[in-house]
Amino acid sequence: MSELPDVRTFPRSRTLPLRLDVLCISAIVAVVLVAASWLTVLNGDRIQQHGFFSTETLERSLTFLRDLLGIGTGRTPAFAQWEEWRKAATLAYDTLAMSVLGIGFAAIVAFATFMFGARNVMVGELAPYGSWVWRVVFVLVRGLYIAARGIPELVWAMVIIFVLSPGLLPGAVALGLHNSGILGKLASEVVEGLDPRPIRAMRSTGAGHMQVMVYAVLPQALPRFMTYLLYRWEVIIRTTIVVGFVAAGGLGLQFRLSMNQFHYTAIAMLLVWYLILVVGVDLLAAGLRRLAR
Amino acid sequence: MLRAPSVLSRTNLSTDVVLDGLSKRYDALEALAPLSLRVEQGETVALLGPSGSGKTTLLLLLSGQMEPDTGRIVLSGRDMARMRSGRERARLVGMVHQQFDLVPQLSALHNVLAGRLAEWSLWASMVSLVWPRDHDMAVAALARMGVADRADVRAGRLSGGEQQRVAIARLLVQDPAVILADEPVASLDPARAGEVLALLVSVARQSNKTLVASMHSVELAREHFARLIGLRNGEVQFDLPNPQVTESMLHALYDLRGLRGES
Amino acid sequence: MKARLLESRRLLTLILVGAFLWSLLNVNWAEGLVHPGGLEALGQIALALFQPRLSPDILAAGAQASWTTVAYAVTGMTLALAIGLPLGVVASGVLTRVGWVRRLNVGSARFVLAFFRSIHELVWAWLFVAAVGLSPVAAVLALGIPYGGVLGRIYSELLQDVPEGPLRALRGAGASEWRVLWYGRLPMALPDMLSYTFYRFECGIRSAAILSFVGLGGLGYQIQISLADLNYGRMWTFVLFLILLVLLVGGWSGIVRRRLVV
Repeated sequence: MSELPDVRTFPRSRTLPLRLDVLCISAIVAVVLVAASWLTVLNGDRIQQHGFFSTETLERSLTFLRDLLGIGTGRTPAFAQWEEWRKAATLAYDTLAMSVLGIGFAAIVAFATFMFGARNVMVGELAPYGSWVWRVVFVLVRGLYIAARGIPELVWAMVIIFVLSPGLLPGAVALGLHNSGILGKLASEVVEGLDPRPIRAMRSTGAGHMQVMVYAVLPQALPRFMTYLLYRWEVIIRTTIVVGFVAAGGLGLQFRLSMNQFHYTAIAMLLVWYLILVVGVDLLAAGLRRLAR
Repeated sequence: MLRAPSVLSRTNLSTDVVLDGLSKRYDALEALAPLSLRVEQGETVALLGPSGSGKTTLLLLLSGQMEPDTGRIVLSGRDMARMRSGRERARLVGMVHQQFDLVPQLSALHNVLAGRLAEWSLWASMVSLVWPRDHDMAVAALARMGVADRADVRAGRLSGGEQQRVAIARLLVQDPAVILADEPVASLDPARAGEVLALLVSVARQSNKTLVASMHSVELAREHFARLIGLRNGEVQFDLPNPQVTESMLHALYDLRGLRGES
Repeated sequence: MKARLLESRRLLTLILVGAFLWSLLNVNWAEGLVHPGGLEALGQIALALFQPRLSPDILAAGAQASWTTVAYAVTGMTLALAIGLPLGVVASGVLTRVGWVRRLNVGSARFVLAFFRSIHELVWAWLFVAAVGLSPVAAVLALGIPYGGVLGRIYSELLQDVPEGPLRALRGAGASEWRVLWYGRLPMALPDMLSYTFYRFECGIRSAAILSFVGLGGLGYQIQISLADLNYGRMWTFVLFLILLVLLVGGWSGIVRRRLVV
């Protein structure tokens, strides 16, 4: 009878089609991070004197909920007053305008620059022969994108408030600046994923590099650019209330005022308007996206 | 011939293509052994041979998209390596590929007008996307290729045969002296392939342009081209007028035994 | 058909441009829009970039704040996973077969996820801080809940988009839907799920930094008080820490995600 081969001499089979080396290390790092982070957080929590899972926290939460709903305060809750709803409607309208303005600014900047941030047409196989100018522009554009999106909208808003007086515009500019980096990067990546053949064929007609960009790169990238634009708008509408807090416009401003005055029922009403805006924009964007295809 | 009125006819200049000791290697692989040949203006030449024989490499070298390792290409007396600008090269050489020459989102009209880009400034090119310049020239080119009614259709929605016709119409507008074609009809069904190829050859003949095409189908090559060059393993096996090429030569050309890359 | 489609993209462009113009009209273009002295202040801030305060105690504060930010991000992500994974599975509808029970489950899971996603993490943060005070766990909740909503939505889609062939094979071998999920969908969807989770973690770092503006400690908080104190050099130091942190995490995330694609 033949001997069974020694299993230890078999090469170890891989059941998962993943390279295990980097992932193993990452998994270990992740576990350590999770443990350490939770320890830090719970430790910091203890310093705050009331643990998160204590009865006191529960009581405070319930009180807060009651205040939101206006139960037992004796005053008429804000959301029961028609006048308050009307005022909030104006603010919601302003917030919507701010978000559109913001995505508009971002779109303009991204549209003007995204082709120059794509590796393949600027420094790669589709780049013009031996011109260092394009290389420099590429690095500049990429750097600008990183800087723009690395700075959170809130920080942009705080800086812009120095220059522009509070209102819709500074918030929109802050949103626009931050998102131009995000939209620009997404759009550049679309260009990098394009089929090079039509671009090369366009080049062979003798067109200059900029002409090739306008005729071959731009039309191919545009549909996805629009899709990303709409997707970003959905994200922006959620952030507009936050920016409005600092830039003093729209729902965000009223939110801050109500917080300071502890008008919790007003906050509840503003939250409802906020949700209406978010859901509305999501639906709108989904509908418009169908047009982009 | 379709061309802007003020431009001197390029095909009046003698545009013989002379290859002198041309060769190309990819790492260890000799894609093209040193070859020298001359193509006279107005000739229709078909490159035959199995895949990997060097046809595409030769076309890429001729179009200026690649630089040779040795040798040079001389077009109408000018050394191609000395031509720095793409515009100058494009006046002499135009290329049509098997597929994906067109920008799918642009209409056939704009794809054809792209052949004029070398003549237009950047501003004019951008304006043309909204208000097409040289509109009549482009429509005439499309009509010549039998697809004038598709002018406003996005290139991505055209059939394969229609797309190739539009690509050739673009060449008409670009008006180069030499037309290169990389298996231009290999993706089309036999009936359409014959039609499109006939159009391509007639375009070349009518304006006395040189046509060099790598051909997938020997029958079509036999039917339409005056001169056949057989390449195998990067070397020229034969270079003869069409009638002089025999069946046994073709058999030897495509024989699997001894072919590089086959066991 | 062709003419109509040609119109739709042009129509979209017109709508977008029109919307933008409308929004411009809503701005109060009154005078006093620009503060003349503001540009000067901005100039000062910009100059301070080249003179960041690098004294040891500030560097220590920066490191400390960075760790706080990371801790918030990681704990928030674990909560997000705890929320997103189960809800995502239910929302994908892969466990129940047909009928109104399924629609109820899927519908409510999707509604909850959508609700979580709709509110910005800062708004959640404000609410939690107003409810229970400046507790770090408020930050965890503020990050975990919206991110849970996002993760859940993506997971549900990924679980649905798995190729049918292997699943049919499993079912043919007699596996229940649970087993199909465990042995079929999850292993196939796992690389994409991990990849997206890591991408979200990158975003989470930035969100955690912003959350600290609410007063919960971390890089954002330090940036804010430095700015309020007009201590621009100090502010830039913390901003640089933030950029470094984002680049580090982004780099790690990139490496992991590239490996996952292989």
